[in-house]
Amino acid sequence: MKTKKIDYGRWLLVLPALIVVGTLLVYPIFSSLYYSLTTKHLIKATYDFIGFDNYIKVLTDPDFFKAFLTSILWTVASLLGQIVVGFTAALALNRVNHLKGVYRILMIIPWAFPSIVIALAWKWILNGVSGFLPNLLYEMGVASELPQFLSDSSLVFGTLIFINIWFGAPMIMVNVLSALQTIPQDQYEAAQIDGASKLQQFMYITVPHIKVVVGLLVVLRTIWVFNNFDIIYLITGGGPANATTTVPIYAYNMGWGTKLLGRSSAVTVLLLAFLLIVCFIYFKIIGKWEKEDK
Amino acid sequence: MRKKTLSVLLTALMVASMAAGCGKDSGGAGGSSENDGELKGDITFWHSFTQGGRMDVIQEAAEKFMDENPDVNITIETFSWGDFYTKWTTGLASGNVPDMSTALPGHVVEMMDAEAVIPVDDVIDDIGRDRFAEAALSEGERDGECYSLPLYSHAQVMWYRKDLLEEANLEVPETWEEFAEAAKTLTKDGVYGCSFPCGSGDLMATRFLNFYVRSGGGSLLTDDLKADLTSDIAIEGINYWLDIYENCSPKDSVNYAVLDQANLYYQGKTAFDFNSGFHISGVETNSPDLVDSIDCAPLPRLKKDDPIYGAETSNIPMVIWSKSEHPEICKAFIETLYEEETYTDFLAATPVGMLPSITGISDTEKYQSNEIVQKFSNAEQVISEAVELSAAIGFEHGPSVEAGLLTSQSIIEEMFQDIITNGTDVEKAAKAAEEKMNEVFESVQ
Amino acid sequence: MSGKLKGKLGNVVCHLYLIILSVIAAFPLLWVLLCSVKSSGDLTSNPTSILPKEFTLGHFKNVIDTLGFTRNIGNSLIIAFFTTVIAIAISSLAAYGIVRFFPKFGNIMSRALVTTYMFPPILLAIPYTLVMAKLGLTNTRVGLVIVYLSFSVPYAVWMLIGFFKTVPIGIEEAARVDGANKMVTFVRIVLPLVAPGIVATAIYTFINAWNEFLYSLILINSTELMTVSVALRSLQGAEILDWGSMMAASTLVVIPSVVFFMFIQKYIAGGMTEGSVK
Repeated sequence: MKTKKIDYGRWLLVLPALIVVGTLLVYPIFSSLYYSLTTKHLIKATYDFIGFDNYIKVLTDPDFFKAFLTSILWTVASLLGQIVVGFTAALALNRVNHLKGVYRILMIIPWAFPSIVIALAWKWILNGVSGFLPNLLYEMGVASELPQFLSDSSLVFGTLIFINIWFGAPMIMVNVLSALQTIPQDQYEAAQIDGASKLQQFMYITVPHIKVVVGLLVVLRTIWVFNNFDIIYLITGGGPANATTTVPIYAYNMGWGTKLLGRSSAVTVLLLAFLLIVCFIYFKIIGKWEKEDK
Repeated sequence: MRKKTLSVLLTALMVASMAAGCGKDSGGAGGSSENDGELKGDITFWHSFTQGGRMDVIQEAAEKFMDENPDVNITIETFSWGDFYTKWTTGLASGNVPDMSTALPGHVVEMMDAEAVIPVDDVIDDIGRDRFAEAALSEGERDGECYSLPLYSHAQVMWYRKDLLEEANLEVPETWEEFAEAAKTLTKDGVYGCSFPCGSGDLMATRFLNFYVRSGGGSLLTDDLKADLTSDIAIEGINYWLDIYENCSPKDSVNYAVLDQANLYYQGKTAFDFNSGFHISGVETNSPDLVDSIDCAPLPRLKKDDPIYGAETSNIPMVIWSKSEHPEICKAFIETLYEEETYTDFLAATPVGMLPSITGISDTEKYQSNEIVQKFSNAEQVISEAVELSAAIGFEHGPSVEAGLLTSQSIIEEMFQDIITNGTDVEKAAKAAEEKMNEVFESVQ
Repeated sequence: MSGKLKGKLGNVVCHLYLIILSVIAAFPLLWVLLCSVKSSGDLTSNPTSILPKEFTLGHFKNVIDTLGFTRNIGNSLIIAFFTTVIAIAISSLAAYGIVRFFPKFGNIMSRALVTTYMFPPILLAIPYTLVMAKLGLTNTRVGLVIVYLSFSVPYAVWMLIGFFKTVPIGIEEAARVDGANKMVTFVRIVLPLVAPGIVATAIYTFINAWNEFLYSLILINSTELMTVSVALRSLQGAEILDWGSMMAASTLVVIPSVVFFMFIQKYIAGGMTEGSVK
């Protein structure tokens, strides 16, 4: 009797979340899968079933592969930057004794920026005619003419990655810091008594304690950055000359620009498939870490 | 008993209002006033006059209409032009469109194709069919029925700075060659001769290329509605604008949309620009000192003895959506917007920027009493002439979905970006863009 | 002695690093603030002068009086608040349940949750519009809150699982030995332990809802109900490109958010197992 009661109880705990996920995500997944096999058009009433035609069209489009490559570069570079900056900032913050609160407040600021404000603020700072930074660099003599951060094809991608790091690093920092503070201080004290060096303490106490949380963060940030649409869309719209077109932008243009919703669905299904594979690998690694912990 | 009376009354009301809505021969101009009190229901009106005088005039007109028809409620939603396309296309997919709205000329054909809008011939007849320009009405015409009516009109002309030209001892350019020369001369001291905008998500590069192509009598579409970016005149035009970009334009303009472009002129940072009479209020708001130094002239021509031409006229249309349960209210309300008083007030929100789409307005005392209209009488004349000489981009072969796609897909903008940022060969890029455009055209067949 | 010196040097390096990062992190905010009170002419003619030549509140006046921007801020606050409260309630229960009572199946469940998080928001936009239209929830704040749960809940559950896992089961067992039942254990023992994690998750959820752009663009039509993102965006596409007003509106959007962070950030840093372990 008693065990049965507990069984129901545990389901009650997870039920609301399962309902949300079931209704808000499972239905759209299936409808997208279905549309990806049709000629569904954004504003036309009728559509036909065409099998895998959309997938063939997408997979033979060189622009898709260019967008895919851009997506990978965008994700890897942004993520590396965010982790390195966020992690080191957290470690530094965990170490210093003075001004901790001030630094934390200042460094957390980018995270408070909605994407539209990120876009407006940076577009204004980097504006090629009246922007602060181009004019500053010009006046200082660093640049011989106003640098065009958002239109020069050799600068624009790096600029976007910088902005993404600027925006994403604080989130990593806060989470790493929060994980760092779950480490019982007595472990460090014990290690110090045993004569362990700072590096050893870091490797054998800090890293094992936070690596699962950091690992999860990496998974989630990968997904987020890979799927991110707002930042690029609002700043460059994928331009100039598709230099910053990632897969979500490509899919958006396909669905809302060309209005080929079916083909756009195929793009997003492919995007999803790719993410599934990446995350499968991540989970293998994290699963191994978790086993090691036990 | 009471219930029955009510239902009879309601039926009578419905019949009456339907008759008012559909009956073409219900007796001319009196349409709305005659049916006062019979109108009942809520309508939503989307328009894109997001701020300033135009929004206020529309709001006042709606309030007045609601006062006169206490059972009517008009909800006004505004959106920016850039979002409108996303809004109505996704809205259509989800059944979430308004009862009536403003639109862009290029969109109306797509709306008709999607059977999203209904004919408005009865409104046109009530206002007076002969008061509208035939060309403007034909932009929303299909099978003898009109699905849109123009609210106001404007056309693209060349804007220049009198003071800068004078300083450099230059005449107002009349040909493209003169224009390039003047623009290059005036590019100095933090002023750019002319910005060449080609940001994706807008139609600016298409617009500029279309000027050049039209000046040579060409078109961006072939007679059988295929894209034509590889004609001699198109290639010449592409090279012409690349030269302007290289020598007279801020490099950032590769990302410019309409406002970024206009803003430079408003701030006195460009000597030349291409736009309609909206430039007057833009300069007036941003740099009041410069208002006396601006004026406009017809678009440059290929050769001096070529006739003056128009390259792009925009007749901003109003449409009524098929989904609407109360087209009769929309129609009655639209008619009130064209009443002399309201209409003149509306146009006065951006004088010379918005020109009347109906006759019998521009010669009224009230319209003429506007200070800006008086001050920029030359501009008004230049633009009015241009309005009559052309149509929307690609409409020289009649309204078509292809013409709409020509401007809404940013393919020409991306072609320019490709040439500018990747150094792609002009003819190759033009060929690729042409193919891409044709592929998009096919997808709507 | 040298160890101490090394420690000091390390501290200096840390401070330098943090100062540089802080400047980079805070500059855009500072610049937005400064530009919001510069005159339009000043903005374009003196791009590198830090302080405004003439101080003006004209842009704020325009944004608040003419454009009614405070209404949009209110909408965003309401939507983000309810999304956060609901998402956190649902997610902490689920995360706790998964961690404690579904040792095997829980892994599958949590992975399923993360899989849903992978779904590109763009892809979901159309089905959502259709579903919301069917339910009559288009152009309502309720509709937007529901849609926001779709991305908030999976993420929150996922993040909270990580935090709940750090709670040693021994503490709970000890509590149960002391006679507390499951619910009491959860509320009295477990929740306080993961409170910092919950706060961090709540902040994330709030900010994500506050920042959201795509769905509110597509689902909300009425100016009255627009969230800040969409209102700001329409400002950019308005009839005049008015950087001063855009900066003023941006200021209004960012300031409450930053203040909110200042208020709440001390919870993030509170030691997680403080008190109970020692």
